[in-house]
Amino acid sequence: MSPRRVAALVRRIVAQFRRDRRTLALIFLVPIVISALLGWVLRDQQVTPVRLGIVNEAGPVGQRIADAVIAARGTSSARGSSPVDVPSATIDRAQARADLENDDLDVVLVIPPDVLTGLASGGGVHLVVMTQGANAPTEGGQVAQVQQYLARALASAVPGSPGPVQVDHETVFGTPNADPFDALSPFFIGFFVYFLVFILTGISFLRERIGGTLERLLATPVTKGEIVLGYTLGFGIFATLQVVVLMAFTLMRVDVPAIGPLGAFSIGLAVPSLGDPVLAFLVALLLAIGAVSLGIFISTFARTEFQILQFIPVVIVPQGLLSGIFWRIETLPGPLQPIARVMPLTYAADGLREVMIQGRGLAASGVQLDLAVLTGIAALFVVLAAATIRREVA
Amino acid sequence: MISTFESVPAAAAPPALEAHGLVKTFGPIRAVDGVDLALDPGRIYGLLGPNGSGKTTLIRLLVGLARPTSGAASVLGRRVPSREMLARIGYMPQADGIYPELSVWENIRFFAGLYGSFDRERLLETLRVVELDDRVGTPVLQLSGGMRRRLSLACALVHRPPIVVLDEPTVGIDPALRVQFWAHFRSLSAAGATLLVSSHVMDEADRCDELLFIRAGRVIARGSGVELRRRAGTNDLEEAFLHFANGGTGGVA
Repeated sequence: MSPRRVAALVRRIVAQFRRDRRTLALIFLVPIVISALLGWVLRDQQVTPVRLGIVNEAGPVGQRIADAVIAARGTSSARGSSPVDVPSATIDRAQARADLENDDLDVVLVIPPDVLTGLASGGGVHLVVMTQGANAPTEGGQVAQVQQYLARALASAVPGSPGPVQVDHETVFGTPNADPFDALSPFFIGFFVYFLVFILTGISFLRERIGGTLERLLATPVTKGEIVLGYTLGFGIFATLQVVVLMAFTLMRVDVPAIGPLGAFSIGLAVPSLGDPVLAFLVALLLAIGAVSLGIFISTFARTEFQILQFIPVVIVPQGLLSGIFWRIETLPGPLQPIARVMPLTYAADGLREVMIQGRGLAASGVQLDLAVLTGIAALFVVLAAATIRREVA
Repeated sequence: MISTFESVPAAAAPPALEAHGLVKTFGPIRAVDGVDLALDPGRIYGLLGPNGSGKTTLIRLLVGLARPTSGAASVLGRRVPSREMLARIGYMPQADGIYPELSVWENIRFFAGLYGSFDRERLLETLRVVELDDRVGTPVLQLSGGMRRRLSLACALVHRPPIVVLDEPTVGIDPALRVQFWAHFRSLSAAGATLLVSSHVMDEADRCDELLFIRAGRVIARGSGVELRRRAGTNDLEEAFLHFANGGTGGVA
């Protein structure tokens, strides 16, 4: 191993980056722009009222319920949930179907003829809600809102019935008003560094293969190990800078005030990060080291730059989806769980969350496992990468 | 010009490049099909043959960039593939093999670094020889094809190798530059270097001390241009090549 030859490789990679302004912009600006955009989308959501229609099939009893529901309009709703609006008096089922179909209503409450029959046998009030059925997550949220609303409306309509239960939310880490973006931010640091380092190394090494420079490199006394190390250090410099910038961005909460029609939102973690940033940095860097070698390895299977891009849906997207950020690994279908557990992004996502949100240190066994697995995967990729750099000489 | 090449003692010196029963197969194709040769130090050898005759494969075997299927190759008496011997070979591949986004200087400094021999003055001198010393800061992207060829040659010579192997160095360059290249090859040889230059252009052949005709992975004739013409009974080198290619007598002396 000659430090001089490794230094020559590192210096060359740095020079190539410096001459490629667009790539520099890609690695520093793109992650910031995308996380700012996502933060904005998640934190400045427009409040749109749920439009509720009522179908009464239970005669005068139903009408009393319907009146109570309509009368509850405009009462204050729970924090964070949008109000419920009842645009018209009761309608019939056919009209309700048509209104749902045409997006004139979001939810229809049907008061069926047997609305109260259950009460006699110790059951509850029987109501039916209808939605369009085209967007389950949104409709689920709307139905939940309508249920809260109904609980309030019926409490006031039926004297003596218990009011809605008030539940206060406390958390061990962070604050109860942590939002989805807080859960995503640490993961994004890992994802961006992994994705960009993989793509840039893959394309860079592919160019060496097709441009004849690898042939020439291998005609010098340089060793495969020195090439992989040179690439790792060279790209490592930029991965380090990228992680530092992105971490600073994530940790420094910046509140963007409302400007004209634009609502206020904040950038970065809304919850205070308890963890050691250096440890979080280490997790991201181990991931990046693996990504350099993965890029070199994958470049063997591509003939053109376009073919490197074809590996994004194969190598990157499944790792993001299965990393445990969007769905907990325990809830994934059985056959997918072992796959999720061998992917580096899974461990980086877990490690970054443990360190940045849960404030765990090196003493935590979870953090130790993440670091150990990431080191192991990086080592495996280094061996694979070195094996694909063909030369008949040692 | 360049005067600091390692001198190889004439007496009892091992051949610069040597092959014994060299064979390289790719599946059913025998790209190199039993080559025996020994090239003496300090001379210019031309490796001539049509496209696909096995020139590049033979060169890669001789310098140790590929492992033969059978047989053996040595450089200065040392078996190759050998990482150590690569430091004593200057290899210019058929593709330019330089980094287009980097400047002339960044390219040559990089390859010098890989040979562990970074010496600013020596690099500038190498660039002077290929007349690129006034372009050190120019990105390769802005160079003409001929300039890139010259830079590629300079990158193969940064470490003053005693053995210089050039795979079709004059392909796609204009006649004036070709004359310059050959003058430079001659001065390298005068300084003690051994050169092996492949080409499929017969009119370059007379500039070599000795020629090797290669066809279908075999050396079919060897000798100086004058000799080969005489043995084939023709004044034209291309006709001589065809003579030996068709099984004519007097090929390998």
